[in-house]
Amino acid sequence: MNDHTPALLIILPLLFAFMVSGMAWIKKSLCYPLAVAGSGLCAFFSIRVFTHVLRHGTMQYSLGGWEAPWGIGYHVDLLNGVVLVAVSVLAFINMIATRKAAAIQFPEKEGAFYALYLLFIVGLVGIVATGDLFNLYVLLEVASLTSYALIALGEGRAPLSSLNYLYMGTIGGCFYLLGVGYLYIMTGSLNMADVASLLRPLYESGAIWVAFTFCMVGIGVKMAFFPLHVWLPNAYTYAPSAVSSLIAPLMTKVMVYVMIRLMISVFCVDFAFSVLDLGSAMVWLSILAIVMGAALALAQKNLKRLFCYIIVSEIGYMVGGAWLGNAAGMTGAILHILNDALMTICLFLAAGTIHYRINNLDLDHLQGLFGRMPVTMACLVAAGLSIIGVPPTCGFFSKWYLITGALQAGQYGFMAALLFSSLVNVILFFRVFEIGYYGDPGHGHMHGSSPETRTEAPAAMLAPLLILSAGLVVMGVFTGSIVAAVIDPIIPAGLAR
Amino acid sequence: MKTAGIIIVLLAGALLLYATRDFPPWGALDSPASTHVSPRYLQKAMEETAVPNVVTAVLADYRGFDTMFETTVIFCAGIGCFILLRVFRQRPGDRYYRHIATEITLHIKGGRIPKKSSEFERIDALWTPYDLIIKTVCRILVPFIQLFALYVIAHGHHSPGGGFQGGVILGASVILLAISHNMRTAIDRFSEKTNNLLMAIGVFIYTGIGTVCILLGAGFLDYRSLSAVLFVDKIMARSHGIFGVEIGVGITVMAVMISIYNNLASAGKQDEGL
Repeated sequence: MNDHTPALLIILPLLFAFMVSGMAWIKKSLCYPLAVAGSGLCAFFSIRVFTHVLRHGTMQYSLGGWEAPWGIGYHVDLLNGVVLVAVSVLAFINMIATRKAAAIQFPEKEGAFYALYLLFIVGLVGIVATGDLFNLYVLLEVASLTSYALIALGEGRAPLSSLNYLYMGTIGGCFYLLGVGYLYIMTGSLNMADVASLLRPLYESGAIWVAFTFCMVGIGVKMAFFPLHVWLPNAYTYAPSAVSSLIAPLMTKVMVYVMIRLMISVFCVDFAFSVLDLGSAMVWLSILAIVMGAALALAQKNLKRLFCYIIVSEIGYMVGGAWLGNAAGMTGAILHILNDALMTICLFLAAGTIHYRINNLDLDHLQGLFGRMPVTMACLVAAGLSIIGVPPTCGFFSKWYLITGALQAGQYGFMAALLFSSLVNVILFFRVFEIGYYGDPGHGHMHGSSPETRTEAPAAMLAPLLILSAGLVVMGVFTGSIVAAVIDPIIPAGLAR
Repeated sequence: MKTAGIIIVLLAGALLLYATRDFPPWGALDSPASTHVSPRYLQKAMEETAVPNVVTAVLADYRGFDTMFETTVIFCAGIGCFILLRVFRQRPGDRYYRHIATEITLHIKGGRIPKKSSEFERIDALWTPYDLIIKTVCRILVPFIQLFALYVIAHGHHSPGGGFQGGVILGASVILLAISHNMRTAIDRFSEKTNNLLMAIGVFIYTGIGTVCILLGAGFLDYRSLSAVLFVDKIMARSHGIFGVEIGVGITVMAVMISIYNNLASAGKQDEGL
């Protein structure tokens, strides 16, 4: 009980969130430094926890001094350890990168904005670290409520799309809660490990598969899995740029993590694949998600909206990979959570940087952008290549695992969908690059400056973007060792190798 | 679209009903829910936490970590309403002033806001003349409501109640003042700054007590370690720790209620309410 790091990584940003919110009324200039400190400490302790887990194995922490089934326990293994690091580090980098954009958009409410920002991080980090089904729901509420408020801060139709998201998100949350309620009635416990051991004799019971279905549908709404994705494009498009580059990469990926956690640690793979035999049905649904996401992305005329549909399609990759029912597919899905978070934050940060200068993200306003913002566009190219899946960027490797998994499982449809979506991504990104490179800058609607002048964004925004783009390649180069050290040990034994 | 919605709702409902077939019988003594974790709560709560009300013991101690985040959810709601609704730089719109001695009403359009004076009082656009009964009754009622709220918070250990309920009642007393008089009267007594600070202070108390437990060498929210600073034994320390966090919950809930009311009723101007 001496190592408090698993608790501290949630408590410290929480304490700092309250301090930031109070400080807004005492000394405004301290809000941002406090927020950076809170988010930085969260990232620091996440990395500490992860390295500890790498060296010494799983960490347990009982809150309130009550042991697990009676109290709430934290349970950090390699799977949540690595997702914790991804979430907290990316949120920290985004906070630094979007400082200027946020300062312009919310001059008077900076304190409240950063308090919500920190609380959103707390919510996500808590969802990932917890080992308790109900605690997960409460933190899901924290993360969702803050994201509704943050998205509604945008201009134009943002409040309306946030309201739409609120309805859908609340329904999703209720479905998850109903599922947990049924599990509690059947097992009498809320602790994940405890529920998993109590469930084994109950696998044939109808109430359990209804609970499973409700949990999965609820999480499906929150992660924008294809037919349930309708809230996502509007919400993320109209959100302020500092917010969309925070929420878009993290929220949906964390929900994919929750799905995988439920599949492997609560219901266990035997239940998901042998008892229910949902594998191929879910893979077909994700084929639909991938194809429809890609097709809808083709129709978009706004850069951010286009990225939103790419997310819908990428969610299909991860869900499909997890449900392929073999080790390669699961490896691909888990690896893609990390890679996709990195790629999406690159895309949305680049979009935010362009928006900072041009104030418009319609595709026909991007003409001549390579001349005006070369560094930003270079980062966008890196992220685009990674989404397409060009080696040595990380996107190639997770796609490789997914395709290997599809071949092993005999799911050729899934493989075809992956290749189709890669081709569509080629078209999408090269269209953007073409407009940015060959588009006649004089032809578009210019805002004052002559086309040749460079109007690159300030270095404070570019440096984080460059670091993240470099990260795309670094992740790709080190894929082998990441998979061997982190992902292989957590693949459950029940999956075919 | 509408029929599709109804079909989905019916399908989900049918699925839920179908699953109840496998449930243990209603109120069965041997059902998992009443044999797995709850016996310990029911039998040992008193000796482990010195709190006679089992609900409070589970809520604020066994699963106190959840309750901390429930309070955070309420805090998020308050901050969310504040950030979305509050307008700071408003164009001075139409305002009404009443000359107290002659009861003449002045209508001012735009311009600067005059300083406060003893001769003029600012009135709402939908102003109704002074109502002796309503105002006097509410003025007398407010302190009793607040006293009752404090009782509800303090008595949560023994009877239904606690921070959430008490906090709502406390908030209601200030909102009653705003409804019966006007919003400016309530804000003069309970300023926006105080209220927003209290909103953060309440949850900070909750999380802070948990952090103090870490500093005293136990786990987060493990109130037993508070016995070192409270000079009581470990069981009583749990009871006092629960009381501490209930106070925090009460403060935040009160402040959030007031903040949401003020921002909603005045459309973020914190000027003229209902």
